[in-house]
Amino acid sequence: MNTRLLIFNLLLALTIASQAQIDTMDSPKYVQRVNRYRSDWESLIPTQFIIQNAGNMGLFSLGVGWDYGRKNQWETHLLFGYLPKYKSTRPKMTMTIKETFIPWRVTMKKGWEFEPLTTGLYLNTIFGHEFWASQPGRYPDKYYDISTKFRLNVFVGQRITLIVPNNRRKFIKSITLFYELSTCDLYIRSMIWDWKNEVHFRNIFGLSLGAKMQFF
Amino acid sequence: MRNIGKITNRLTVSMQDFLFGKSLFRFLKTITLLFIVILFASCEDVFQVHPYDVRFSGETNINAHHIKEIEQRFRDRQTLRIAIIGDTHCWYSETEDEIADINSKNIDFVIHLGDLTNTGTTKEYEWARSTLDKLQMPYVALIGNHDFLGTGDNCYDAMFGRKDFSFIAARIKFVCLNTNATEYDYISAVPNFDFMEREIVADTALFDRTVILMHAPPFNDQFNNNVVKAFQHYTSFFPGLMFCAYGHNHSQKISTFYDDGVIYYGTDCAKGRNYYIFTLTPNGYEYEIVDF
Repeated sequence: MNTRLLIFNLLLALTIASQAQIDTMDSPKYVQRVNRYRSDWESLIPTQFIIQNAGNMGLFSLGVGWDYGRKNQWETHLLFGYLPKYKSTRPKMTMTIKETFIPWRVTMKKGWEFEPLTTGLYLNTIFGHEFWASQPGRYPDKYYDISTKFRLNVFVGQRITLIVPNNRRKFIKSITLFYELSTCDLYIRSMIWDWKNEVHFRNIFGLSLGAKMQFF
Repeated sequence: MRNIGKITNRLTVSMQDFLFGKSLFRFLKTITLLFIVILFASCEDVFQVHPYDVRFSGETNINAHHIKEIEQRFRDRQTLRIAIIGDTHCWYSETEDEIADINSKNIDFVIHLGDLTNTGTTKEYEWARSTLDKLQMPYVALIGNHDFLGTGDNCYDAMFGRKDFSFIAARIKFVCLNTNATEYDYISAVPNFDFMEREIVADTALFDRTVILMHAPPFNDQFNNNVVKAFQHYTSFFPGLMFCAYGHNHSQKISTFYDDGVIYYGTDCAKGRNYYIFTLTPNGYEYEIVDF
């Protein structure tokens, strides 16, 4: 009984003390600095949640994203993908850093938005001892001129967004459904190796579907 | 009628919940369902999961199927006419020309000496398979060093089969060896002497002569050069060794690596636009270098 009262009093005293401290030490510059410090770190809070299938990143990928730019025309996504075993020896994980450019945004009626073009690059890395960033030392110099671990991909796509009206909003600000056509450096390279043969030209692009939830 | 109205109403309400985030849980459930549908759709080839996913449909274990056909068709033959090609990599146009040429030449079967791909991706394996399937006769394919990259060796295992294999046609044993030791950092039994030992004594009643095939030749950067002499020693035990053939170097070259007189036929790549036709008769063999 007594101890509980004591703790309560102590906490009360501390709160008052700290309140007093801020009151006395407040200077406009200090507040400004604190706010800037806070907003700088706050800009690292992801504003989006993304779920996406295929796209040379695994069967599906989950991740977070940030949108920025004067018209929010840039987006950076950090995705983690799961690659099932299929006919290999074990399942694998992948990680992707993806940069998207959205040049136009068309507002349609009833809170729908359409992005006629999204395009960008993403770098995917796959985890596992089979893959190396550059050839291991056992090979003679410049034996293999590629990395089996890192893949650079390019994509073009389109998106449609439903904006949740302010009064109906609980947590999600908008939902975007998108598709992308993507391919990776190795496939482009093999196409260049044999540009006369169009057998694999239509096969180097793959479809990817996904959803994006914008939090704020 | 009233029930249908009720159902439609409920659907509308749940749609609104879904769209306006009234119930995050329900929304996530819907998204999950949607995603499961997408995952099932992923079985189609329109989606690319990963270059090294080893996810492919169609024929697996090709070598075993083709060996069965070869052994059935040519067991009692006196003379064989075979084509030896290699290093087709991603030169699909050249490979198609090569295949068209082979198809016009009355060949019994084809041996591919490895490097079916450039970077061992599953797609390249599929492209190689669909290109080689244009051959009108059976073929077998060895594994090349490029076919190991990433999960390439897993893909080879699934699509073509074992990396060391043999078959018998016209009383000749064709021994196909994986000699890409550098890919294993020399810690694996490559070349596999146990396999060679077994093949020297296996089915000796069914063959009198031997042809040895490999991707990388002895003294090459891929070969385990600590065992080049041991390799030669083991090859000498094979009954009636006729010749060896290898790929890897992208050049047509005929040489004897050892002083035992065994000829090693170096096979050009598809880009080099030439390949070998060997005519194996009971008395010996002839070869021709075919330009296409």
